[in-house]
Amino acid sequence: MAKASESDLYGTSFSIESMKVIAESIGIANLPDDAAKELADDISFRLKHFIQDSAKFMHHARRNKLMYHDIDSTLRSRNIEPQYGFHSVDSLPFRFASGGGRELHFIEEKEVDLHDFVTNTNVKAPLDITLRSHWLCIDGIQPAIPENPPPQDKEMQKLESVDPVNKMNKPNKESSGKPSTGKQKLRNVETVQIKQLATHELSVEQQLYYKEITEACVGSDETRRIEALQSLALDPGLYEMLPRMCTFIIEGVRVNVVQNNLALLIYLMRMVKALLDNQSLYLEKYLHELIPSVITCIVSKQLCTRPEFDNHWALRDFASRLNAQICKNFNTSTNNIQTRVTRMFTNSLQQGDKLPLSSLYGALHGLSELGTEVIKTFILPHIKNIGARIEVHLEGSLISNLDKVASGHIKALLVKVLAPIIKNLRTPPDYFEEYKTDYGYLGPALQSAVMKARTQPPQPITPTNTSIAPVSATISRNITAPMGIVQNTVAPGRTIVMNPPNRGTPTSGNQKFVFVTQRSQAPGTIQPSPQPQQNTVVKIMNSPNPQPKVVNAPQKLVVVCMPNSAATSSTVISQNTQSQGVISQSSLQGGQIVSPGISQVPNQPQFAVLPKTNFISQNPKVKQEVSIDDLSHLV
Amino acid sequence: MGTNITPDKNQLLAVLQVLRKYNLKGTEELLKKEANVTINLEREKTESDVNSVLTGYKSDGDPETYEASYVELKHFVENSLDIYKHELGMILYPVLVHMYLELVYNGHTEKAINLMQKFGPDQDLYYQEDLRKLALVTKRDHMSGNELTDTFKSNQFIIRMSRDTLSLLKRHLHDKKESVLLNIIQEHLYFDMYEGVARNKSQIDATAGAVVGEATRLDNKAKVYYGIPKAPDIQTLAAPVEDEEEGGEQETPDKPKKKKAKKDPLFSKKTKSDPNAPPPDRIPIPDLKDNDKVEKVKSFRESSRRITLGPETLPSMCSYTLLNANYTVTCAEITEDSSMLAVGFSDSIVKVWTLVPQKLKTMKSAEQLQDVNTDAEDVLARMMDERSGETSRTLVGHGGTVYSVSFSPDRTLLLSCSEDSTIRLWSLQIWTCLVVYKGHMFPIWDVKFSPLGYYFATASHDRTARLWATDHYQSLRVFAGHFSDVDCIQFHPNSNYVATGSSDRRVCLWDCVTGNHVRIMTGHKSPIYVLAFSICGRFLASAGSDNNILIWDLAHGHLVAEFQGHDKTIHTLTFSRCGNLLASGSLDDTVKLWDFNKLSEDTNSEDVNISHNPDVKTGDTYMLRSFATKSSPIIALHFTRRNLLLAVSMYDGITT
Repeated sequence: MAKASESDLYGTSFSIESMKVIAESIGIANLPDDAAKELADDISFRLKHFIQDSAKFMHHARRNKLMYHDIDSTLRSRNIEPQYGFHSVDSLPFRFASGGGRELHFIEEKEVDLHDFVTNTNVKAPLDITLRSHWLCIDGIQPAIPENPPPQDKEMQKLESVDPVNKMNKPNKESSGKPSTGKQKLRNVETVQIKQLATHELSVEQQLYYKEITEACVGSDETRRIEALQSLALDPGLYEMLPRMCTFIIEGVRVNVVQNNLALLIYLMRMVKALLDNQSLYLEKYLHELIPSVITCIVSKQLCTRPEFDNHWALRDFASRLNAQICKNFNTSTNNIQTRVTRMFTNSLQQGDKLPLSSLYGALHGLSELGTEVIKTFILPHIKNIGARIEVHLEGSLISNLDKVASGHIKALLVKVLAPIIKNLRTPPDYFEEYKTDYGYLGPALQSAVMKARTQPPQPITPTNTSIAPVSATISRNITAPMGIVQNTVAPGRTIVMNPPNRGTPTSGNQKFVFVTQRSQAPGTIQPSPQPQQNTVVKIMNSPNPQPKVVNAPQKLVVVCMPNSAATSSTVISQNTQSQGVISQSSLQGGQIVSPGISQVPNQPQFAVLPKTNFISQNPKVKQEVSIDDLSHLV
Repeated sequence: MGTNITPDKNQLLAVLQVLRKYNLKGTEELLKKEANVTINLEREKTESDVNSVLTGYKSDGDPETYEASYVELKHFVENSLDIYKHELGMILYPVLVHMYLELVYNGHTEKAINLMQKFGPDQDLYYQEDLRKLALVTKRDHMSGNELTDTFKSNQFIIRMSRDTLSLLKRHLHDKKESVLLNIIQEHLYFDMYEGVARNKSQIDATAGAVVGEATRLDNKAKVYYGIPKAPDIQTLAAPVEDEEEGGEQETPDKPKKKKAKKDPLFSKKTKSDPNAPPPDRIPIPDLKDNDKVEKVKSFRESSRRITLGPETLPSMCSYTLLNANYTVTCAEITEDSSMLAVGFSDSIVKVWTLVPQKLKTMKSAEQLQDVNTDAEDVLARMMDERSGETSRTLVGHGGTVYSVSFSPDRTLLLSCSEDSTIRLWSLQIWTCLVVYKGHMFPIWDVKFSPLGYYFATASHDRTARLWATDHYQSLRVFAGHFSDVDCIQFHPNSNYVATGSSDRRVCLWDCVTGNHVRIMTGHKSPIYVLAFSICGRFLASAGSDNNILIWDLAHGHLVAEFQGHDKTIHTLTFSRCGNLLASGSLDDTVKLWDFNKLSEDTNSEDVNISHNPDVKTGDTYMLRSFATKSSPIIALHFTRRNLLLAVSMYDGITT
């Protein structure tokens, strides 16, 4: 394109070459240069003129995008026949082609087969225009409903968490959506800048939503859960409820790890995933709470009541992928999440025999999800020791079934993640002896896996490369197994049956459930719980004929979390389920909830550490890893 | 009248020229003597150049001198004292434009482009768009039929200057004797001199930006009856109708309300006659029908229940979103009583939705109508076919994009205007087109019913606005004077005036009785797409694609305030029924609320007169709140009688 001038005011115009090409295309062979020049100038002028006029039509059609019928209207208004047959799809992508020193921008036009076009009878009719009404604001406050934009978009949330000063400078009235009052003006006058207390008022609708969602997420109805998780993953207005959702999750994990309630842990992790997937949320502010919970689900010594049968490995895998996704999404040079998480896993590897095998598996899986480099530097050097350790359980004479299963999983995991790396590290031929000396017990298995990998055609993506891929939906498959198991684990002695199957009528309008959560890890401490079991689950059995009246009855739930000993300090959250999203009968009928409800205390500073769970108690070093010193400062 | 002087001078000179040509000395002398009153002596001197008036830009000036003289002028402006500098700077833009056009006209394209490239970018930001348009013109052929060059050629660029600045400029021109410059300034510039101190840059910028410069003081001298006349005795009207309408049990609970309403300050204000209101018989108004009276009473009763809005009591807002519309919606309007919504589409149809539980009914057929008892009280209701109720109805008839729709105050008629340059009047009782009004030559951008009914006004691409009556095929008045498209039109609440906003970036107020313009207001930097009169009738709000809302005081035609905040073109403005809030809706998917009450209080406390320009109030202090929609540009806003804000928006699923 020849430029009429360098100045902005003049822009571009058609080149002589363009004119000649167009002339050729309509059969005029030798267009003289001066004629082409004359034409080019004139056409440039006229086209620009048309476009300027078309802009008027565009503006009056309340648009900011020039469309083909604006040009048509301009032509019509000047008594020129419009160009028929053009239509614009959503956007017109200009294709670019270059070659032989020429550059060309063009719009791809597909050839239409007229026969197909004519015979095509089932043309899609466009959707009819419909009118939909909603409240944009009520008394000056914009309700957070799906029809309205999220109160604070992701960029703002990010900015806020990265640069808190920014929020202080902003006029408060815009961000909070609440009417400004005289009080807020004072702030600017004060010389000392005090960080404003964040107020998180939830509307009644939001409280109801919270209740419904949390119930559905941990309830027994899988279809409701899928809906609830979908809502968590897609709803744009969750920003204000995020602190509460996170508290729900971490409290839930805290309690259920102690209770070894695998199913609930999986549900909670799925909630984390849903929140992570939500495009309108920026979770960074809550990572210090979420990461310990997730990591607990990876490395905890015991996650289920019957470790030899339950598939707690799926939870560890899923949580590892979540952890990797969090690291990938939120790792910055200031918070160093990935480094710190990696260091924590590695430190636990160095504990040797003191580390339970299930925690070892978790640590290894957690590391393996963090990428090839991590595997190479942190897993590979330890392989001999680990091999030696699992050899005892796999090959030894004193076979404990539990340890054997765990060792088998570790072996399978290591072979799976290491084979592609070793394949690249070593050059063939792969000698059995070399593998044996280099990798110890795992040598033979690795060698065969590597050999197998070499014979296979190279896959585009090796498993290790996808380690930080977004968490796949395969968890749903993993869920099914524990689901069934949990239903079966309702063993007598571990469960207080509060709703006997044969009960005819509800006992009274006001029921009281007492949840006693024992956090003590010392086996010998006195326990005030009604059962002499170490971990007590209070459950309501599914009654064969659920009484709807029971659901409606106002209830009082008391959840008691006992700190280390059966001492005095305990958290009592007592709520009326009708108004508060704690635990209602309907969700309890699934028989899984033991998580305490979320108190209404706004933005209560959450203790970021998990209570000393079982696996910690036996491994003081690991306990440090998941203790306040490290993780609570992650953010 | 103000603007008539400008063409008069040109015409006189042209006539003189012709007289001289035919050697009609006697007549020439006579005419000169007579015309001398208006033509100053300087003009006499340049009579030899009178030719150029006829031929536009013909000049034998040396093309080489243009640039030098522009640089010279620029130098002079920059080196003058700070207080005069900015006022003097105003002449740079018109001088550059006319130099460019003169060069182009005389075939010195290269020189012209050179000049434009060198000095074009120096001009104020708001002139850049016009410069870009002018830059297209590089040949004499291009100039014919070009809207912008025609405007410059046939109109003088108006510059307001203080006496001191003007004398400074005159002295400079006298000293230098640059023929090119002198010629341009004499031919194409008009100085509107005022006594007082020179203005500063921000004052100048506030009112600059229109295509042909500012408005002269003379333009805004005429008296405007901006008040609202006393309502045609709603009390005496109300009493009997009310008694008739309700009987028995309704009577008692209503009585105290009535008394209370009388004490309403708004009501008592109405009973006092406004000194600024026009005489009630200034324009002929059709008599009120019984139906209208009932309606008035209803509306009055509703309004007594409305919430008075303010910064502490913000309105609730209900949004009507049009789904699956994909850029086809062009306009929307809601009836005064908020019962119906009409939407115009780019595929030539108009759709009417009902917003209340009452369905849209059609009238019974002629045979059935004969059976209706015409003496019955509810004859109007009996006329309608009960079974025909629908939630939405489509009106088909136009042959091009529908750009605006407007309901009649009694809700029985709907007007629509279209790209096909016709206006159609539709009946909302039999749901067909009643009249097609032809008269405009080009697409019609806007149509509005008068608040009293009967009259309506249109604005068109043909640069005119017109006043019509529903029972006349031809327009009653043609308001000509804009230099570009008239983009929007609005009736004054007292129906005596219409305001127009145009692509020439001026807002005009026209008197419906005389057809003359009584106010010309400059200050917008881009085309104006929406106008709204305040409830009191004194202020006018205008907005457009420069994303700013300007508030004008019609008493003197001053710019009062500039509300900035939107990011994209504003297409709708509306005042709350109590007059305290102004709501604006824009293509940037937001609705913003502005504290108009505060502004009018601030304004009233100041003493302004015609020669003194008050400071323009800007800033965020007036913005109360902004509400975003979910990627749905706002098409229309409407306050219900109880001050609930309704927004009509179109969901834009493509760009998200």
